[in-house]
Amino acid sequence: MITKYTSEIFDVLRKGQFICSNSPDNEIQKLYKVLEDDQTFEDLYEYFYQINYILELGNEYFYFSRIENNTDLDRKLEKAFHWIDILDFFKTYDSSFDVGFRFSPSEIVNQLKNNADLKNKLEKFKKISVDKKSYSDSIKKIIEKLEKDNFITLENEISETYKVLTSLNYLKDMITTINIPEEIENEIPE
Amino acid sequence: MNTFNDIKELVTSLKREEKLISEMFSKRKSIDYRLSDALELVDYEESRIDLLIQKSVIRENGGLLELDSQFLEFFEQVLSVSEEINLSYIDENIKNIKENIGYFLNENNETRKYSYLRLIKKTFRNMGLITLRSVVDLRRNIENTFKNESNYKNKQLKLKNLDEKRTLVTNLIQQTLALINQEEITFFNRALDEELNRIIISLKHQLGECSHNLIEIEKQIIDYLNQIKQQGKFLEKLRKLKYLKDNFTIEAETDIRKIISNKNQVIFETRTNQSLNLSINFLRENEKAFESIKKIAKKHKNRLHFKPEIADRISTENLANNTEEEIMINLDEIRNRFVATSDNLFNFILNYDFNKEVDFNERVTIFCQIVSQYEQELTIKDNFNITNGIEYAMVFSK
Repeated sequence: MITKYTSEIFDVLRKGQFICSNSPDNEIQKLYKVLEDDQTFEDLYEYFYQINYILELGNEYFYFSRIENNTDLDRKLEKAFHWIDILDFFKTYDSSFDVGFRFSPSEIVNQLKNNADLKNKLEKFKKISVDKKSYSDSIKKIIEKLEKDNFITLENEISETYKVLTSLNYLKDMITTINIPEEIENEIPE
Repeated sequence: MNTFNDIKELVTSLKREEKLISEMFSKRKSIDYRLSDALELVDYEESRIDLLIQKSVIRENGGLLELDSQFLEFFEQVLSVSEEINLSYIDENIKNIKENIGYFLNENNETRKYSYLRLIKKTFRNMGLITLRSVVDLRRNIENTFKNESNYKNKQLKLKNLDEKRTLVTNLIQQTLALINQEEITFFNRALDEELNRIIISLKHQLGECSHNLIEIEKQIIDYLNQIKQQGKFLEKLRKLKYLKDNFTIEAETDIRKIISNKNQVIFETRTNQSLNLSINFLRENEKAFESIKKIAKKHKNRLHFKPEIADRISTENLANNTEEEIMINLDEIRNRFVATSDNLFNFILNYDFNKEVDFNERVTIFCQIVSQYEQELTIKDNFNITNGIEYAMVFSK
């Protein structure tokens, strides 16, 4: 037992969730503060390392990775593709969609009326995975997916406001790391 | 051009159309002001609007009204809400001061000298205010552009332009300070005016404040530009990856496979529910566990309670009173009667008058039954007789 929050931290991270500095959840905030302490972090790192989990520090968030890979490449690729789609959708909705950004499903539904690009993208989603009929249902479904992966969280239940968490930096980092060779880059239309 | 004849006329007419002008001013960014909207504010007297148009306070353009740029600029300047940062003012003022200093130094007439000095003082006073206002406007403009401009390229361009303006303001401040501190030493030595000194001190103070603000603004602009650059770059990258993905070439043309294969984050894993067996001791000892067991058991019991199956109705046919009579042979009675005779049993039964038809085989059965049941009361002889091919012992009563 390294801190009295060890098991709580484990429980959150084990599910593939992030502990973000800007989470509106007080519990998570508390855990973030605990992990922020360098000494605690090092101790917990050692502790979790013993059971095959690597405690990692990202840009304002903590997460777990594994020493050995538990998933096959195809599954991981599929997930990454999905994130690219969703992120592209939200960036089309508002290019300032980034850490700290707040939005509500109804705002996106409103945007659909005057943003044909956004509508197109939503319809593509429908074909792939979302089998809901109405736009607002599909949007909710997409939001749920991102929420499940812990990149956004519901901040205000009454006004249905979601907040983008610092864990989005993880996605951004991943996308930035992918290298597109120059000759191919030149072939992509603007 | 038809203009106002004097200040009084100007102020009165502005005052009279105060409602319309203030409304038009406040809506100058958001909507195109129509003639019909304006009419409501002048009590539907079109002549009043015509007058304003004649005097070039407002201009009409294809059914739309707008405030004349001169007036608009004036209002914006006075109310410090200018969107445009007009630096030519400062520049002009510097030139103005230089000129007037020249005149001042050349002039021998005290009265005229004094009037030049007054002009210089006024300009200096203005300069501080204008510079400060430009700095405030600059800051506001930068923030507005960063937050509200939706077009990325324009946002970047606008910020760059604002940054250039910032450099200009800095230069102008330096020029002004150079003017005070180095270039016109002779003038300041000769002028020896208490008020001028005060104005200069306050001007220096204001300019110092401006410089500090400008440093902060510079930092802000650099930060904003970097953010935009990063965001823009990221967006570009995202769009490219999306394009490749949609064309199914992403795996072949990027190193995504390599990068993803190195990622062992738990987030990629499917979330499994780890089922753990309950500890037997826990089940035994824990009160709550016992409660739960009871609860579950109760539910379980309920589940076994099948609904009883309802049988079909009994048909009326079955309920009818069907009686069937059967005449039973009373062995006791036969024996009693037999005891009273001296006949042998077989013969007696063969001839016995039953209430119903009894055939030979049955009579043989009855004979056997009586013999076995009342053996004690009968005498069974050793001699035999044969009737109808059946050999039987002679039985008599005792």
